[in-house]
Amino acid sequence: MVNGALYLVAIGLGAAFLLGILPDRRELSYKITLTSLSLMALIAASYVWSFAQNGVLPEQIYTAGSRPPFAINLRVGMAEAVLSLLISLSGLFSALYMRDSLLKQGRRAMAVLLVFVMALCGIVFTRDMFNLFVFSELSVISTGGLVLLSHDSRALGAGFKYLMVSQLLSILLLIGIIFAYHATGTLNIDGMAEARLNTLVGGSLSFFLMFVVIVAELKPFPANGWGLDIYESAHPAFSALFSAASGAAMLFAADKLLLIGGTQWLGIATAIGLFTFIGSNIFALVQENDRRLLGYSSVAQLGLILAVIGQRDLLGDHYHYIAGGILLAHAVSKAGFFWLSGFIEERNLGAWASLRGHSPLIFAFVTFIALLTGLPPFPGFYAKWDLLMMLASEGRFWVLGLILLGALIEAAYLFRWFGYIIKRDIEDEVKPSLLSHPFKVDVVFSAVIAAWSLAYIWGAISQHGNLLHSIPLLFALGFVLIDTLPVKIKNSIAIAGMILWFIYQYPSYDALQVIFSSIILLGGALILLAGYHEKGSRPGFYPAAMLMFAGLIMLIVAQGSFDFFAAWETLTVGSYFLILRGKKSEPHALSYIVFSLGGAFLILAGFAIAAQGTVNFQLKALADVASPYAAWVFLLLAIGFMTKTAAVGVHIWLPGAHAEAETDVSPMVSGILLKAGLFGLFVLLMNMGKQQLYGVELSHVLLWIGAISALLGNLMAIFQEDAKRLLAYSSIGQMGYAVFGMAMMNQLGWLMALMFVINHFIYKSLLFLSIGGVAKRTGTREMYRMGGLITLMPLSFIAVLIGIIAVSGVPPLSGFGGRWIFYNAIMTTEYRLPMVLIFLSGPIAFLYLFRLIHTIFLGQLKDEFRQIREAPFWILLPQMVFVAALLIFAVVPGLVLRRVDAYLAPFFASQSGGLNWEGLTISSDFGYWSPVSIMIIIAAIFASLFAWLVFVNRKAQKVKQFNIAFSAERPYRPETTHFAWNFFAPYRKALGFLTQPFVTRFWESLTNFLHGGAEFSRRFYTGNGQTYAIHLLGFVVAIYLLWVGMTGGRL
Amino acid sequence: MSWVALTTGFILILIGLYGALTNRNILRIIVSFSIANTGVNLIIVAVGYMASRTAPILDKTVAPTEALERIIDPLPQALVLTAIVIGVGVTALMLTYAFKLYEVKGTLDISSYKELKW
Repeated sequence: MVNGALYLVAIGLGAAFLLGILPDRRELSYKITLTSLSLMALIAASYVWSFAQNGVLPEQIYTAGSRPPFAINLRVGMAEAVLSLLISLSGLFSALYMRDSLLKQGRRAMAVLLVFVMALCGIVFTRDMFNLFVFSELSVISTGGLVLLSHDSRALGAGFKYLMVSQLLSILLLIGIIFAYHATGTLNIDGMAEARLNTLVGGSLSFFLMFVVIVAELKPFPANGWGLDIYESAHPAFSALFSAASGAAMLFAADKLLLIGGTQWLGIATAIGLFTFIGSNIFALVQENDRRLLGYSSVAQLGLILAVIGQRDLLGDHYHYIAGGILLAHAVSKAGFFWLSGFIEERNLGAWASLRGHSPLIFAFVTFIALLTGLPPFPGFYAKWDLLMMLASEGRFWVLGLILLGALIEAAYLFRWFGYIIKRDIEDEVKPSLLSHPFKVDVVFSAVIAAWSLAYIWGAISQHGNLLHSIPLLFALGFVLIDTLPVKIKNSIAIAGMILWFIYQYPSYDALQVIFSSIILLGGALILLAGYHEKGSRPGFYPAAMLMFAGLIMLIVAQGSFDFFAAWETLTVGSYFLILRGKKSEPHALSYIVFSLGGAFLILAGFAIAAQGTVNFQLKALADVASPYAAWVFLLLAIGFMTKTAAVGVHIWLPGAHAEAETDVSPMVSGILLKAGLFGLFVLLMNMGKQQLYGVELSHVLLWIGAISALLGNLMAIFQEDAKRLLAYSSIGQMGYAVFGMAMMNQLGWLMALMFVINHFIYKSLLFLSIGGVAKRTGTREMYRMGGLITLMPLSFIAVLIGIIAVSGVPPLSGFGGRWIFYNAIMTTEYRLPMVLIFLSGPIAFLYLFRLIHTIFLGQLKDEFRQIREAPFWILLPQMVFVAALLIFAVVPGLVLRRVDAYLAPFFASQSGGLNWEGLTISSDFGYWSPVSIMIIIAAIFASLFAWLVFVNRKAQKVKQFNIAFSAERPYRPETTHFAWNFFAPYRKALGFLTQPFVTRFWESLTNFLHGGAEFSRRFYTGNGQTYAIHLLGFVVAIYLLWVGMTGGRL
Repeated sequence: MSWVALTTGFILILIGLYGALTNRNILRIIVSFSIANTGVNLIIVAVGYMASRTAPILDKTVAPTEALERIIDPLPQALVLTAIVIGVGVTALMLTYAFKLYEVKGTLDISSYKELKW
């Protein structure tokens, strides 16, 4: 559209004047306002369309018939078009949202809104410095007016502080402009850049003034108290505009200005941006007020984008894709959040629990969080991936690390907030009544639609393929649409989908993928059977579970690092939502997601460093990474994967997350999800092999970590009273074994690790299901409260018995096979000391496993449990299938393992020590293992011992429960007299020091440090407008000093 | 002579800033900003000043052909006019705020509007 930008500005301005002239009829004025905003959006959209579809070149618009420097000119390219579309659309939707306030205030408020939107578009279009000043002053004045639309009387103070600071800024800006003009003879930005303002007398100082003002408009941390006050007190729809539209416009102004400044200013922009990103996010950690928190988050995001702008010299062609992706993600999500906040009566995060029960709004909230934190498949994800790849290829590791750190802190408080929504009590049962604001809901959903459209667009133009074309992901997202259907239907669809996908994909899998995909898809479907027990629609369960499974199955087929990482984040998020469903899961789910995202970011950093700029870096290419990076890549990836396997040190999330999860979720997140980490380690070790860092053999370090995890996991398990917690700690130990096996770096070690993958899946799923079934019936998970359940729940008993035989690794079940391979494997290596630890942890496992049978099923039946029944059918059914699977796997382990062994052999072609799989007997260099004969022998021993027991017990006298009498006082805490309470007290005395929560304390003190620091330093924001003005002057001085320091201060 | 105006301008700005940061009374703050704005305007004019030239009006006294050598640059003056207009707008808005603030709380002390903080 020729001269469309002029029309756009003219429509805004003209309509504002028109409103003043027309008779004061509010409905009419409102209609005019909406119409003009729609027209403005339409013009912007037609620009975007013509650039995107028809490849039109950017348009230069010369006003007053002259070229610069004699007249102002405007420019519209793709970036300008998209930004003006963003600004006018958010203006339109905010106008819809503010309908009541606008109608109440009348046409003047509407005129101010129009001027505001017009001014921001002007900031984007103009190429003239003074024109930029005029538009930004217009936006300041209209901001000052629109702040008053709030119902909150404190907004008055906020508006005044804002005006004070703006006055300061405009003084500095004007001085800068006039001296820049004096030096270059033009006000045109491109003209100033051409004249190389920085090299002229007084030029760089005048540039400094202009630049610092534009940056200050971005509310850089910590000179931003005035901005935060506006976010907190303004009408939410205006805060949405203030965050999305004003921020975008000023960022673009900063981008234009940096054309003049040249490369020396890029570093300063990056430094300011990163400082703001991290500082604001840390301060946001301690915010209880929702809108102020959103304000901090907005400031942080603007800082991040400023840092990206500062890196534009290396981003090249991808600059707009990356900066735009993050900016649009920020704008849409922040507008969405602010609009959502209008439904919440009280201004604290806990009050958001009243969203619960409104699934569409929760879906909106989840969309916004994912969009803001850059999770797949949203634009921020693609953008951050590309950004970090490029940073790593140029060796800008500091920038990379700080961006990831800030992103992690941000994710932490956002997900904590989400936890409040799902888990906190609804205080006064005042649910937001959606019917009273139907159009506000529509506005929120326009942001949701925008979010998903952006996700699709960014995927479509990415160099990595569109994640939204992935069938598993679409299948999972489809469950969002059918979330209201009854659980039976959804469960059937889910199971059918997983099995069909397995059948469909089976031919393309290699041996390793077959094992993992059987566990994920078939095993997942099996555990899902337990879901038939649920009643109603079980809202939210299926999208979460399917998202996790989709991520897992995408993970194992991923060839490129991008697909791998996208799958990794998908499964992380899905499993977080699953874990959060448990009754008391809130803190555990939070620590899970923080550790997982932290791990994911390490993986991302690892890939970025490994790729060194290669687009579509393949996992196989990890093998070719050269020193000095190889060892670091190995380290980053290994730590990242070990956050999922809960290796000791990063394990503290696991016990709570697994124990508090729902009955059928525990086996999914324990039996299946943990394998993702092991799969990652397989991929890593298969491709990178042994690496040395400063002479330390890293696989040796892994070996130690595995051994210590095995020992400590098992030790902690024996002191648990809670049965599910016991199982959870046991998983830490089991994963330790698997890591140990892999780190041995020989064929048998890997075979054993794979054996653990299968075994651990079967028996941990089995045990979690059976213990979960028992806990469901008894209403408690504490073992000493149970007892004597063997006659009431015989099937559960059998399941637990078979399960613990398998875990403990005694013959005849498959656990023994694992041990046998394991012993063979360690005989071929020379790591004696960690081996001792591993041997030690074996018997410790007996101690806790024994309690599951002894305390739950044997002993006296408690009075209150006399009436309980066997666990529900649908929970028992998968258990019985697992029992059968364990027995079959025990007799013919070769069925699966020989294929895997053959698959692994090429990786260790140079080493001897494979297994011989002839017939039913498996032999190694050290001996042989004949599963069938073992089974027969054990059966014979068991049968004869059992017969003997029956024989000697025939005359035994039965002791009734009340044959005992206390002769002393009534105990103060009755449970302490139960023999099963603190069962291993003597061991605790001896070894308890090993189970002190050192690691937990370490992480706790780290978070406390961050929180305490933020709580203390935020008093810096005194609330006084004059203090804020002084902060701003301090900021100017600080940037001046930074600039002088970085450039030598040539004026 | 333009350095006199320039210096005066900077001094006015400093006076204005000092006043805005040290006075607690909102009206005094607004007046201080007006003083600083005046200083800015003075600087703009002073920067655009060219000695021994005439006003940029092309009439009988200045022929178009020799205009380039004889008139001063009209742009800074145009800028000043715009800046003055904008300054008036902002000052008016701030005064409105002052009025409203007084209406709500009955005081013009800036330090009593600190409900929003941290």
